[in-house]
Amino acid sequence: MKVNRWTTGRRCVQILMLLLLATPAFGWTFFEGNLGAAAIVGLQLSDPLAALQILLLTGTLTATMLSGTAIVVVFYGLFGGRVFCGWVCPVHLITDLVDLLPWPKRLSSWSLEWKTTALIVTVIMTVILGIPVFETVSPIGTTARALTFGVSSSLIIIVLIVIAELVLVRRVWCRSLCPLGGFYYQLGRFSPLVVAYDTAKCSHCGECRRVCFVPEVLAPSLKSQRNMVHSGECTRCGACVGICPEKALGFALRNPFER
Amino acid sequence: MSANNVKQPQKNLPTGVKGALVGAGASCLVLKAGSGYGWMLRPPGAVAEDDFLKKCLRCGRCAHVCPYDAVKMGKLSDGLAIGTPFIVPREMPCYLCSDLPCVKACPSGALDPELKDPLKTRMGTAVISEREECLSIKGLRCEVCYRACPVIDKAITVENYLNVETGRHAIFEPVVHKKDCTGCGICEKACVLERPAIVVQPLQPPTESWYES
Repeated sequence: MKVNRWTTGRRCVQILMLLLLATPAFGWTFFEGNLGAAAIVGLQLSDPLAALQILLLTGTLTATMLSGTAIVVVFYGLFGGRVFCGWVCPVHLITDLVDLLPWPKRLSSWSLEWKTTALIVTVIMTVILGIPVFETVSPIGTTARALTFGVSSSLIIIVLIVIAELVLVRRVWCRSLCPLGGFYYQLGRFSPLVVAYDTAKCSHCGECRRVCFVPEVLAPSLKSQRNMVHSGECTRCGACVGICPEKALGFALRNPFER
Repeated sequence: MSANNVKQPQKNLPTGVKGALVGAGASCLVLKAGSGYGWMLRPPGAVAEDDFLKKCLRCGRCAHVCPYDAVKMGKLSDGLAIGTPFIVPREMPCYLCSDLPCVKACPSGALDPELKDPLKTRMGTAVISEREECLSIKGLRCEVCYRACPVIDKAITVENYLNVETGRHAIFEPVVHKKDCTGCGICEKACVLERPAIVVQPLQPPTESWYES
């Protein structure tokens, strides 16, 4: 079997991210926090959705959070918002692995658009409940807390996601429900880094669509004469780039304002 | 005909939206229902509880930097406080580090960065909750809480008076002075009884402006 170098590389990055989140449990001090807010060797980072919730609830942001958010927005703005999903998020790693289980695959008919609805619901509930809702119930924060503070009942959300993906719809959380995915989708719409392909080399074997996490945005780009995947749904995971036997796919830069 | 109708996406979407609303409503209920467990002793510098729940990012940085691993994180059963930090003094109290690493680590201001002097923290206040059990009040020479207190002779003093039961001994009663008590819980940890006679309780009123607002 051919090794998909992009997928192997991405798996390594995902596992490194998981280990990074777990380092405080080993007593190491260069990293503290989780994906909502963290410090890596003194560099303050914070998630823009977390910052948005705090801003809505209190009307102010600390300088730490403002600068941390700015760095994160610029980074994912350049590399593609959902790069977070594909390369960093521990829940995506868990659902990636669940998807590899030999289990009858149910193709998803659930719309990708729901993430944006979930994002709006999260923001409204944040204001109603008076707590940062996503930081409280998010499976991402829950996973990170489980890594450093031990397994607790909060992990039920991970169990629910795994069950939903096995018996209900394949990849339903990351594709259709995650509010943070919805947020990074919006950010990734304007990223210069995209997957592009060479029409002349393409043999229409369909391998790229088979491995794609969101084939509904890859397939139309292939069929049309636009040779780039412009959608913010693309996680830039590189599975299609690595799998293509003709080497017709690759990463390219685009002018984000030219459609 | 009817089979075609079922497959129309317009038919599916409203059901899904309803599902999302039911889900959101249900999670509201779960979160609200679990929130009645009362009081949590927050780390030093924590702003008033209402504000704390708004500002706390549940990131765990205060707990990651605590050298005593005194800071724990809320679980599912803590309702709205899932993932928020708290201290259980009987397991591990706050030792009031001079550089307050937890306050420095907090990115969102849930632990007030204005707090620079650990002895000025007011997490709660110690209270002699079991007067009948307190060995000192019973007339024995215990006073362990008094000697363990980091603000000794201010937050806890020993008041001595005649033991009227024997008529010839003194009682050395530990007395907590809320004004100087940090609420660190070292006394609660130190109490020699199986069920501590001195415990940290919430400040009432919780802030200076409590009556005005």
